[in-house]
Amino acid sequence: MPASQEAPNPGPTDPERTLRIQQDHAAIARLADDLLPALIAKLAASGLGEIEVRQGGWKARLRRPATASEPRQAVAAESTAHARAVGHSRPDDRDRRGREPKEAEQGKVVAMSPAVGIYNPRRDLAVGMRVRSGDKIGSVDVLGVQQDVVSPVDGIIGSSLAEAGEAVEYGQELVRIEPPAQAASGQAAAVVSQADLDAVPVAGKA
Amino acid sequence: MFSKVLIANRGEIALRILRACRTLGIGAVVAYSEADRESLAAQLADEAICIGPAPAKHSYLSAPAIISAAVVTGCDAIHPGYGFLSEDEGFAEVVRAHGLTFIGPSAEVLERFASKEATRRILAAQGLATIPGSGMLRDEAHALEEAARIGYPVLLKPSAGGGGKGMRLVRTPRELETTFKVSRSEAKAGFGNDSLYLEKYLEDNRHVEIQVAVDRFGNAIHMGDRDCSVQRRHQKLIEETPSPALSAVARKDLAEKALRAVTAAGYESLGTLEFLVDAKGDAYFIEINCRVQVEHPITELCTGIDMVALQIKIAAGEPLGLTQADVVSRGHAIEFRILAEDPAQDFRPQAGQVGAYLAPGGPGIRMDSHLYPGYEVPSYYDSLLGKLSVWAPDRPQAIARADAALRELLVEGVVTNIELHRAILANHLFVDGKVTTNLLDRVGSAPFVAAGNR
Repeated sequence: MPASQEAPNPGPTDPERTLRIQQDHAAIARLADDLLPALIAKLAASGLGEIEVRQGGWKARLRRPATASEPRQAVAAESTAHARAVGHSRPDDRDRRGREPKEAEQGKVVAMSPAVGIYNPRRDLAVGMRVRSGDKIGSVDVLGVQQDVVSPVDGIIGSSLAEAGEAVEYGQELVRIEPPAQAASGQAAAVVSQADLDAVPVAGKA
Repeated sequence: MFSKVLIANRGEIALRILRACRTLGIGAVVAYSEADRESLAAQLADEAICIGPAPAKHSYLSAPAIISAAVVTGCDAIHPGYGFLSEDEGFAEVVRAHGLTFIGPSAEVLERFASKEATRRILAAQGLATIPGSGMLRDEAHALEEAARIGYPVLLKPSAGGGGKGMRLVRTPRELETTFKVSRSEAKAGFGNDSLYLEKYLEDNRHVEIQVAVDRFGNAIHMGDRDCSVQRRHQKLIEETPSPALSAVARKDLAEKALRAVTAAGYESLGTLEFLVDAKGDAYFIEINCRVQVEHPITELCTGIDMVALQIKIAAGEPLGLTQADVVSRGHAIEFRILAEDPAQDFRPQAGQVGAYLAPGGPGIRMDSHLYPGYEVPSYYDSLLGKLSVWAPDRPQAIARADAALRELLVEGVVTNIELHRAILANHLFVDGKVTTNLLDRVGSAPFVAAGNR
């Protein structure tokens, strides 16, 4: 008997994969609509650090960052096309290579790369431009296929963190989005925006 | 030679490939998923790139993400490691279509050996004995007829399955009657293909494999055998070389036959031919692995050959630079797969943060591991934490060194199978070199675990 299951098996065949992706999307939408709001409320009320819920083939885990004072939830949903483990920040908020903490980890809002490829901003993209959540900001060219970079929140285009034509990795921060109400309480606005940011990938709108 | 290689894998093998690239003086880019941002390979690499989210389907199994990463970082080759896309002929083809080199066999070779059933026919035609079995079964009556011809007990196997998935042991015609329909619908549901075939079941067999390397000029060498009989549910736990199951004459004969057959069948690259050896010492070919194996370090310890570097050189179109006479296997080596699994809880995989970590040392000790203190073991992938390999001039000394090394090895924070390894080492069947592939499943691991706690 062969004993060579050394790592996960390659994925299923293409039609199956398409079907499964569709099912994934449906399940993500269900999760986002029904389960997550309830869980977020529960986590906030409980004072617990982390909640994990399993349902069928799904698992949703909400975690409160260890040090951050803002009520930010990280959501990781397994086997989803767009869900990401946001907020993998560690207590030290600085990784082992000594990199500065990412913008998103500081509670600022940024549009991120959906894939690894070549980044190109929208031609008319300019600092100060008003965008709505889900608006296309640019695209990432993945072997000739364009994947949209979208704004995760309503806001105003801030500075760019990547150049046009630059090679970018998955999850790379591309464009800063300033909150629309640039009132003095910038901190509070950023907190709200961060919550929106976390919810976006899970809702599968990205 | 390549200028820069994209490493499209994770864990200890990503690190192993990185080391081979550095030894060869070529650049390397580690492609990692979001869950592996803090991995040792990503941190040690001169260049690392995030290719997708944690689920492998969208990162390590995503051909567009991997190839795009190779293109934007200026790599000219992709090393797939083991598992994931390492034997996927479709991936190999797409890699080539983008002007890159897949480090492994060509898409044509992978395709030729993609089906186990076809591979057995091809290699049987080249003179390798295969386990008596049937072709694809038409219906229940056909299955009964074939089983009677082969002789019970038989294994009923789905053609599309692998790694023991979906197969059933059948001891009587009556059992076959009740099992056939169930297996067929399970295969349909599980693999999208309801083809089944029968194979004679060899009780108390040993798993022995032959390591080969063939370049595009037809130069071919074998690097001896490995015995992987210590298994749990078809997962290898301990591997050693040379196999205690073969005499010197049988060993040489099997390796030479395997090399001749696979070369004649047109194989190219590093590869492993797996055999089951029955109680009489007869070896039956079962399958070929067209990639670097997890257990390659023990062969490296005995032969002194850097097999990953050799694999990269073959893919780059260079000649082997070795003849069979240059390959000398010395001493005895044993590898232990250190897994984040709890033997006391039915081997459930463990995740968590590693506290203290200390790798053992001493003569003949080699540790291939991506662990470091503070490393978070993600729950998305397999449970392999590392491999402890031990070399000594002979088997008893290798066992003694292994036990000392396992005592030294310290992994805190996650439950591991280190103590189970020590218990197996102390078992008389292992000491006598008589472990068969069904031993752990037959007696259960409890006696070993209990013995380990003495």
